[in-house]
Amino acid sequence: MYGWIWRHLPGNAWVRSVIALLLVLAVVYALFQYVFPWAEPLLPFGDVTVDGASAGGAGAGQ
Amino acid sequence: MPSPLSVRSLRLVVRTFSELCITVGTLIVLFVAYVLLWTGVKAADAADDGIATLNSRWARQPAAPSAGAPSAPSASPSPYRDGKPFATMRIPRFGSGWEWPVLENTEARTLQKGLGHYSGTARPGESGNFAVAGHRRTYGDPFKDFPKLRPGDAVIVNDGTTWFTYRIAKEPYRTVPTDTAVVDPVPRRSGFEGPGRYLTLTTCEPEWGSSHRLIAWAHLDATRPVSEGKPPDLTG
Repeated sequence: MYGWIWRHLPGNAWVRSVIALLLVLAVVYALFQYVFPWAEPLLPFGDVTVDGASAGGAGAGQ
Repeated sequence: MPSPLSVRSLRLVVRTFSELCITVGTLIVLFVAYVLLWTGVKAADAADDGIATLNSRWARQPAAPSAGAPSAPSASPSPYRDGKPFATMRIPRFGSGWEWPVLENTEARTLQKGLGHYSGTARPGESGNFAVAGHRRTYGDPFKDFPKLRPGDAVIVNDGTTWFTYRIAKEPYRTVPTDTAVVDPVPRRSGFEGPGRYLTLTTCEPEWGSSHRLIAWAHLDATRPVSEGKPPDLTG
């Protein structure tokens, strides 16, 4: 998988390293900006209200 | 002796599987870092923003002695805007630097920026129950030390015109998530009898779970106009 990506990056080893680093940073940014904020409410740490059937509260986004 | 081709494909499968395992492991570590650290960074940022917003808003409008919002054009105080801060809360038991904005409503997005006021419950200082929820863990851990609350502890709310000092009535009470009577105007099981000016704090229990809730009740002990400076519980 990573070998396949490496082989398909252009340029010499230095250019490839820089591009690979940028790719990693882009993936981490996307995770922190979009994926994790979506996934985090699925964990129970946000259930801090008393709200009957957990509807509309600070629950897991029901 | 297996053929070179099958050795190569076996290597490919093993390598790809290892790479997937490493990728998933990295994802999990990153997610834990996000939940434990990054949510705290974001919440501290949002809380600072909220307190700064309140301070600049309060600096613009002259302090009025009434508990309501003085700029309200109508007779009744202006309603709080959903998801926006309207007061600050300090609990000296949680540390002298512990100050969080209180925002209107208890939606998940709101509680990521500070404490959430149960819509429909009383305003600070009003007759009834001023009910507030907060994260125990993640998003800055505002109510991390919730079980340390003891009778007599001060909970100080500032709405821009008045310091409201509430006193915790008893040790935190553990209940189930559906027990909405704990935020009633006269909360059930609080020991309070008859109408009064109460405050309820709620958070999750156990610390990292959601099977129960921890509740703390307080009653209004003193009020002090902002113009007269901080209440003794903050200066002493």
